[in-house]
Amino acid sequence: MNDQRPETTTAARLFGLTKRFPGFQLGPLDLTLDPGTVLALVGPNGAGKTTTLNCMAGLVVPDEGGTEVYGAPVQPTRTEYRRDVGYVGEESGFFQRWTARRNLDFLAKQIPEWSRERARRLSERIALPLDTPVSKLSRGNRTKLAIVAALAHGPRLLLLDEPTSGLDPVVRAEVLDVLWEITEDGDHAVLYSTHVLSDINRLADELAFLRDGELVLRTGRDELSESWRQVSFRLRDEDVELSGIVEYRRVRAEHQVITRDAPATLQQLTELGAEAVEVSRMSVDEIAVQILKEGHHVARASG
Amino acid sequence: MWHALRAELAYFRPWLLGGLGIAAGVVMILSVLMRFLDEADGPPIFVVAIFPIIAGMVVSFIAQSYRIEERRARLLLSGPLTPRQLAAVTVLLPACFVGLSAIAVPLMIGLAALVAGKLEPVTLRIVGGFVVQFWAYAQLGPLAQESTAARRQRRGRAAIVGWAVFVSVILVLSASQFFLQSIQGHLWQAVAVVAAMGVAAALYQGRTDFTR
Repeated sequence: MNDQRPETTTAARLFGLTKRFPGFQLGPLDLTLDPGTVLALVGPNGAGKTTTLNCMAGLVVPDEGGTEVYGAPVQPTRTEYRRDVGYVGEESGFFQRWTARRNLDFLAKQIPEWSRERARRLSERIALPLDTPVSKLSRGNRTKLAIVAALAHGPRLLLLDEPTSGLDPVVRAEVLDVLWEITEDGDHAVLYSTHVLSDINRLADELAFLRDGELVLRTGRDELSESWRQVSFRLRDEDVELSGIVEYRRVRAEHQVITRDAPATLQQLTELGAEAVEVSRMSVDEIAVQILKEGHHVARASG
Repeated sequence: MWHALRAELAYFRPWLLGGLGIAAGVVMILSVLMRFLDEADGPPIFVVAIFPIIAGMVVSFIAQSYRIEERRARLLLSGPLTPRQLAAVTVLLPACFVGLSAIAVPLMIGLAALVAGKLEPVTLRIVGGFVVQFWAYAQLGPLAQESTAARRQRRGRAAIVGWAVFVSVILVLSASQFFLQSIQGHLWQAVAVVAAMGVAAALYQGRTDFTR
């Protein structure tokens, strides 16, 4: 890592970030990312994840607000922030007919902070076929090439835009392994956009849920899995209101609820004398689905 | 910036060489036909010169579409290049392709003369006029692209300026056809080239989206 780079306590900061398209508005988004944190930006297609990352990479100019990376403003006309940013997107702009090696050589001459040694080690570690033209690389190998290209100049912030989208399960697991290895040392702050919910468990420390261009919830992964529960119970008194309930179902005499505040709900059930209470944990994927289904409601309730 | 420009030229070199090969083939066929038809003067020099220049122009259009499709701006903006330097690369590429094709013009003329026996002489000014004409057409590619991008990015005024200059350049080039032998005709052609390059570069710098 370059010692001359400014030490700041925030890896990335989005302040009032707004981008308008016909029929869609992203933001205003306010978000901070601490060094060493892996934040998953979760949302359905069209939620604004890619636009957010493109704004952070300086590829899209926001209409209002802005972004800072380690204190440096992100603007296409300024280049200081780029040494700290590595971007892995679906399209990385490589020369398709050139081999992976030739593309990396091009970048090595183009980017002053590039380390050929780091690129070589990474390529070996993830078994990147360097002498194959990019157009003939499989999707997984293209993602690997993008990862090498994104990391070889030693950035402190890694932006990953759906890196596992469209990959078959085997290659997906392979790419996740690579990303997990890279992020586990805690040297990189990572913003990881995904709509593949099962990726979240593996990589993310924190989650930010985006829906229709709005940030509906930001929370820690562990905090989320501790507070959400599926609870079934029987209750004599039918006319009660429980706090934290996100979804309710009734199967004959049994009530089934999903709560985002399990301790409070269970406390209430005890006080109400509920019987046959059964509590089951929910996976982060299941919770994410609930949040995205009930986005605005959850944001208001938890806010 | 120069490194990026050199890389782009190296990347599209096979297309340029292929285009020049096709141009040489056409020139050969034309020259052989002229010889069989027993034309006294052979093919005119400016006709022979046009084919490699057209090849350069076509390759510049191909390069432009590949650069968009391959999202080259994304790769180049991962390094220290600024939008101004990217704009320079974008508008200089057509000039480089046409310029490199112009180097092949004497070779084509020699080849045609060898096959046809002799060529109908014309003034260098006419040959130059045709070269600049096709160079200007090549520069219209980036101008049209940036005008379209400006409209998509809701930069209405920039889009209007871009398309206005596009239409003006075509009108100027059409009118200059009648003055290819005069200095004024060449001056207007030069103005058209500079306007197309300058406005395309300015529109590129004003982009709000560099993802394509």
